[in-house]
Amino acid sequence: MKKLAKLIALLGLLAIVLYPLLWMLATSFKPATEIVGSIGLWPAEPTTEHYPSGWSSMDVGFGRFFLNSTIIAGLTVLANCASCLLAAYAFARLRFRARKLWFAAMIGTLLLPGHVLIVPQYILFKAFNWIDTTAPLVVPKMLATEAFFIFLMVQFMRGIPRELDDAARIDGAGPYQLFWRIIVPLSKPALVTSAIFSFIWTWNDFFTQLIYLNDLEKITVPVALRNFLDSTGQTSLGPMFAMSVLSLLPVFAFFVAFQRMLVQGINTTGIKG
Amino acid sequence: MHRAAMSQVTSRRALLLGALSVPVLAACGGGGEPEAQTPAPLSTDPVELSVFWWGAEARAKSTEEALKLYTAKNPNVTFKNTWQGNQGYFDKLATLTAGGNAPDLFQIDDGALSEYAERNVTLDLTPYRNNGRLDVSKFPESLWKYGEIDGKLAGVSTGENTPGVIYNKQLCQELGIAEPKTGMSWAEFITWAEPVYAKSGNKVYGTMDPSADYKALWMWLRQQGKELYKDKKIGASKEDVTKWFDLWADARKRGAAPTADIIHEANGGDVTKQLVVTGKALTSFLWANQITDVQKNTKQTLGVMAYPGNPSAQWARAAMYFSVARTSAKKDRAVDVINFLVNSPEVGKLWGADRGLSANLDVRKAVADTLTDPTAKTAFAFETDMAGKFGQAPPVPPKGHVKARALLITIAESVQYGKASSADAADQFIKEANAALG
Amino acid sequence: MPRSVKGSSRTREGVAGYVFLSPWLIGLMGITAIPMLGSLVLSFTSYDLLSPWEDLEFVGVRNYVRMFTEDPHYLHAVTVTVVFAVVAVPLKLGAALGVALLLNREQRFTGIFRGLFYLPSLLGGSVALALVWRAMWAKDGAVNTILGLDGPNWINEPDYALGTLVMLAIWQFGAPMVIFLAGLKQIPNELYEAASVDGANRWRSFWHITLPGLSPVIFFNLVLETINGFQGFTSAYVVSGGTGGPVDSTLMYTLYLYQSGFTDYEMGYASAMAWVFLVAIAIITAVMFSTGKFWVHYGDGSS
Repeated sequence: MKKLAKLIALLGLLAIVLYPLLWMLATSFKPATEIVGSIGLWPAEPTTEHYPSGWSSMDVGFGRFFLNSTIIAGLTVLANCASCLLAAYAFARLRFRARKLWFAAMIGTLLLPGHVLIVPQYILFKAFNWIDTTAPLVVPKMLATEAFFIFLMVQFMRGIPRELDDAARIDGAGPYQLFWRIIVPLSKPALVTSAIFSFIWTWNDFFTQLIYLNDLEKITVPVALRNFLDSTGQTSLGPMFAMSVLSLLPVFAFFVAFQRMLVQGINTTGIKG
Repeated sequence: MHRAAMSQVTSRRALLLGALSVPVLAACGGGGEPEAQTPAPLSTDPVELSVFWWGAEARAKSTEEALKLYTAKNPNVTFKNTWQGNQGYFDKLATLTAGGNAPDLFQIDDGALSEYAERNVTLDLTPYRNNGRLDVSKFPESLWKYGEIDGKLAGVSTGENTPGVIYNKQLCQELGIAEPKTGMSWAEFITWAEPVYAKSGNKVYGTMDPSADYKALWMWLRQQGKELYKDKKIGASKEDVTKWFDLWADARKRGAAPTADIIHEANGGDVTKQLVVTGKALTSFLWANQITDVQKNTKQTLGVMAYPGNPSAQWARAAMYFSVARTSAKKDRAVDVINFLVNSPEVGKLWGADRGLSANLDVRKAVADTLTDPTAKTAFAFETDMAGKFGQAPPVPPKGHVKARALLITIAESVQYGKASSADAADQFIKEANAALG
Repeated sequence: MPRSVKGSSRTREGVAGYVFLSPWLIGLMGITAIPMLGSLVLSFTSYDLLSPWEDLEFVGVRNYVRMFTEDPHYLHAVTVTVVFAVVAVPLKLGAALGVALLLNREQRFTGIFRGLFYLPSLLGGSVALALVWRAMWAKDGAVNTILGLDGPNWINEPDYALGTLVMLAIWQFGAPMVIFLAGLKQIPNELYEAASVDGANRWRSFWHITLPGLSPVIFFNLVLETINGFQGFTSAYVVSGGTGGPVDSTLMYTLYLYQSGFTDYEMGYASAMAWVFLVAIAIITAVMFSTGKFWVHYGDGSS
């Protein structure tokens, strides 16, 4: 009985949460004039034309943009997870000089609104000869510039009982062995969470990708989606909606696949024993 | 396979067209200027020019085709094309410029031209016009002059447009209402719009309220012998602007124009949100050449007229420009490319009215003969008719125009929503806009 | 343990700390810090993006003074942002925590449920989002229809537009939800087992086990969502079409900053705004960290 109530509550909530997305899906099947003229849910004259026309648009086609986005997002996931885990371990578990100061600096890098950094960053990356390459999108992530993930992992690591370290220390483990034997296996929830966000946020990031990618062959999904819109001129809302719906699928699949690893979770007792 | 075949066909066609157009161009180029001034020929070393523009896919295709035509004639010149939708375009252009990486050639509009020209980003094209490398002799004079800022030619108009009221012709007929006509006074226009709401069964308003539209305010001021901008200040008095806001407050009260929330929807200028598209009003205040894009979003037949009042307030305005970066290492070549783009009849035919009506009048005529789309024909007929009515062009809007334009929207909306009186809003507009322009 | 051994292990740890930190340090020095300091310097200039560098003028603290004395739009943006953050952040966190608790247990379809609840956040700040959200809150849109209201077009009313952005923030609660879920996974099961042996009811074990166990993650979400809430650029930009309208009702701090920098070409002024923002948020964050001592329980025994 209680279970049923819970299920009904969940489904009700889900209906509210998903309605706007359902609307978006339905709109991708409306002819162009209906999209701008009506905001009802069901298409009066449904059409599937926007999917093929959107997919094959812009010469190189959307398949290319999906590939580009996948590569950049995939690299970002690896780079973020590896580099941030190292830094987080240092902050969470090791004692070293000026630790608090560096920690404060790390939090500080989260606070400055990004728009004032765009131009200085562009000048810097130009000095590195990175313009027109994917380096500005990936290399910084390899150097743990996304403090969000460091802080996230720090918070998780601080939840790992110290007794585990002590037990390992008695066996003669140093900081490096502790990292491999205790921290890496036990950081799975934090890593999975970081991977999910890295992928999704990179998938959706418009501005950086807009600034640094110039060739049509290199652009990514969010940039391509905006190429459907010249708001004072030609605007192709139908293909834009259709491709927006499609662009949700890879990230949705990525999420569902990765959150399974949250399911397995960790069992600290298993390691202890 | 298919694409390769296509491009082969196009390039062959391009070559053919290129060969044909040489005599035409030569004929254009000679006019008026003494041949002796012809400068040294351009270098034939291989060179790549970066070109940057905003637009959607159709414009991208036609622009790339046009640049291929140029390469067909000048095989040593290739292009690195970057294009994008309009969102973020000026952010990227500014970032590239700030980073010392401005594209050799870029598209710009009269909202940004002064910002770039007054800050010395754009190359002064006057010497090229003088030595004949840049030929604007077939342009209406006021049109190319509308690219001059402080005596420097900062951009070359790619085409002409002018404000236009786009109206729902079909619905006028269905409701048994006469179509609005160029030359109606503002009062007559509002009176014309008033009965629409009732006649349509309280569904459609007569007209959009353009009190937040700087074009409308500008035309209205020009009809009284004033300007929106004068000496880099607002050229209107507080009383003028108050009267303007009151005019439309009255129109709203009479039900000729819709309520504030509906007006707000269209104030952003998006084609797809215009009331004539969404069916909430019979008219929208836009640019005349936008009728083709608006028409694509509605099944109702549309018409276009000048803004109310005396049409001589309007002028041949540059729809957009191409400019050359002052820092470009390939200036001469970049100018030559612009010269080709704006004067070649082939490019004209490729572009149609996408960047405004061709600036070169010979090209425009050639393009007109190839028009088949009825809406494009309507737009063309309207602008041809207006050409005889145009008044003198004002200077290009000064630095700070974009902010002043945004301020007018915010402040006019505060009147529309009843959050401020016309007089207070007018006062605020003049103060803040002047600060932005200063 | 003899002193010398302990001492050498301390040194070893000190070195290891910098070894593990080195990628981040290189990133900080080479990539993050330079543009940040650059913007700090620019905040004392009249930098306008376009003029050549030799025209750059130092103006002292004029940008900072202007913000507080001559710019009513700035103060208005501060108000809008504070209202938004104060309302949206707790509601979003509450929604995220609630749904995370509902979806914590492994059952059939839990994965799909989580994914579906996360879907709105996948939209991020995409272009489609603006159109979707506008349609929901339109006069004859879903909200008015479903609630049977003769309501206005909410997004187009200056009095309600900010409210629709709050609703949007809540709707996209996926990120903190996932973090909560991951945090719940870290609470050792044996704690619950022990509690149920002691006869604790659900509510007691939530209060005494779940909340303390989750507190590091609650703390993280609180800090980050507060920062995000104050930064709140994307939704305001997307929904208002970059204007902050109607009548400046959704003119968030960072949106105004962006407009100043990129549409008004006053990047010096925008940089000054950014640094004031940094200082203000740093103070708020510092306060949170200092109160964290009292309610955040770390498994490693530290606080």
